[in-house]
Amino acid sequence: MTRILLYTDPIVEGYIILITGLLIVFSGLILLTVFFKYGLPIMLYIYKIITKGRDKKVKDISPKVNQDFTGEIAAAISVAIHMYLDEQHDEENAILTIKQARKLYSPWSSKIYSAYSNRF
Amino acid sequence: MKKVILIFGVLSLLIFIKPLLGFSSNATDTTVSASVSQVDTTVEKTFVDEAFDGMKQFYHFTGFANAQSGHIIMILIGIIFIYLGIKFDYEPLLLIPIGVGVMLGNIPFVAGYQTGIYEEGSVLNYLYFGVVKGIYPPLIFLGIGAMTDFSSLIANPKLMLLGAAAQIGVFATFLGALYLGFNLPEAGAIGIIGGADGPTAIFLSSKLANGINVLADGTTVKNLIGPIAIAAYSYMALVPVIQPPIMRLLTSKKERLIRMKPPRAVSQKEKMIFPIVALLLTTFISPSALPLLGMLFFGNLLKESGRTERLAETARTKLIDIVTIILGVTVGASTQADIFITKDSMMIFGLGAISFVIATAGGLLFAKFMNLFLKGDDKINPLIGAAGVSAVPDSARVVHAEGLKADPHNYLLMHAMAPNVAGVIGSAIAAGIILSFLG
Repeated sequence: MTRILLYTDPIVEGYIILITGLLIVFSGLILLTVFFKYGLPIMLYIYKIITKGRDKKVKDISPKVNQDFTGEIAAAISVAIHMYLDEQHDEENAILTIKQARKLYSPWSSKIYSAYSNRF
Repeated sequence: MKKVILIFGVLSLLIFIKPLLGFSSNATDTTVSASVSQVDTTVEKTFVDEAFDGMKQFYHFTGFANAQSGHIIMILIGIIFIYLGIKFDYEPLLLIPIGVGVMLGNIPFVAGYQTGIYEEGSVLNYLYFGVVKGIYPPLIFLGIGAMTDFSSLIANPKLMLLGAAAQIGVFATFLGALYLGFNLPEAGAIGIIGGADGPTAIFLSSKLANGINVLADGTTVKNLIGPIAIAAYSYMALVPVIQPPIMRLLTSKKERLIRMKPPRAVSQKEKMIFPIVALLLTTFISPSALPLLGMLFFGNLLKESGRTERLAETARTKLIDIVTIILGVTVGASTQADIFITKDSMMIFGLGAISFVIATAGGLLFAKFMNLFLKGDDKINPLIGAAGVSAVPDSARVVHAEGLKADPHNYLLMHAMAPNVAGVIGSAIAAGIILSFLG
């Protein structure tokens, strides 16, 4: 990177930086644009060839395979699942006990203990 | 309650006894030289005198004694910031910490007791360290990266150019600052206000206009971090005020009605590849912006990888919150009146406003220019060009609101997010370029 000496006219240098800076910003983002417009699809295509199209898109799945699978069957299955999940309850113990935490008495810190027991 | 009164009583008694104790030692001194009969009167006098002296001493340490008009003005500005944040909801997460910071930094104090932010060793000075050394901005960028969804940009990469077009504001302001007599590094730091990106502005000014760097001709650059950061953040908060008139001025009603086709769905794979590729490309072009862009895309990868949700969650919530709190307060406090209220600051504020206008206009006009080459439903609504200034996501929201005013069913938010996030990348690249020229 060549550094422009600082005793040149700052305005002139300002214009140089203005032009080059804008050019670089634009070229940088154009590069990104071009990559994501063309480069990325190609990369993804290559990836797809390598993995032999293991992951299918929705539109690739033929509707003919599932012709027997009608909406009624789907509804029946969903109702069954819904009812099954509805039946489930968590068994919980109805007896609630709160154990009193045992606190050791110590003459050194008796004040602090009482302060804590007030708070909790 | 009784206990409180008792403790208070004992404390106040102790405080009042203190001068008496002081007087007793003094009294022995006086008895050496004076007669016994005089002791009482001298005792009386010295006690009152000392109490009075103490009060005077105390008064000299208070803010009332040291207050100057500058302090009062700045405290009022701080209160206005808080008011704007609360009342109008203009970026309250920034304005309220900054407003409190402005008040903190302008409480008048006696120098030399490690109180002020510019005093070596004070607590505020240690927190300010992260601003001066440019530590906080990359951390903020990490959080922004973990928040940002780049999918609209991936779906429509040509909108990236709008983010570049808005950087015209950066370079135009840079030139304007040069004409106003700032030297090159200072002008560079001022120019970045046009990027409408607080963290980037702080990062660049901490590198260029930090009051430490020495120019080739032996002069030291001025410390402009405070004014630049305040200008950047306050104009970012004022985006909903600044942008709409320019948008209406530069676009016709017909253009504002343009409907853009919905962006295509973007696969997770593309989203994962984006941060890695963009990181490599942008940092190879502009390595000086590495701390900013590196953290931005790192944060985005954390979000998109799908495996590091915990880290992404921390980065976009807790981490960015912590840094914003500290950054806001210290940047606010750095506006200590004797350093802040100068002609330079006023010029910076003026330039900042102009830079926002130029950046907005640049984005709008470039969008119209792009429309010349686009056909049919590929045409873009020029309003989204205004979102090229990177105030995320405020300017996108402003664009959305303006679009809705023209056509209540035209939802531009998703489209506007693309130039918006491209603006973040663009202004970071611009900062890197300026840094590599002038750093």
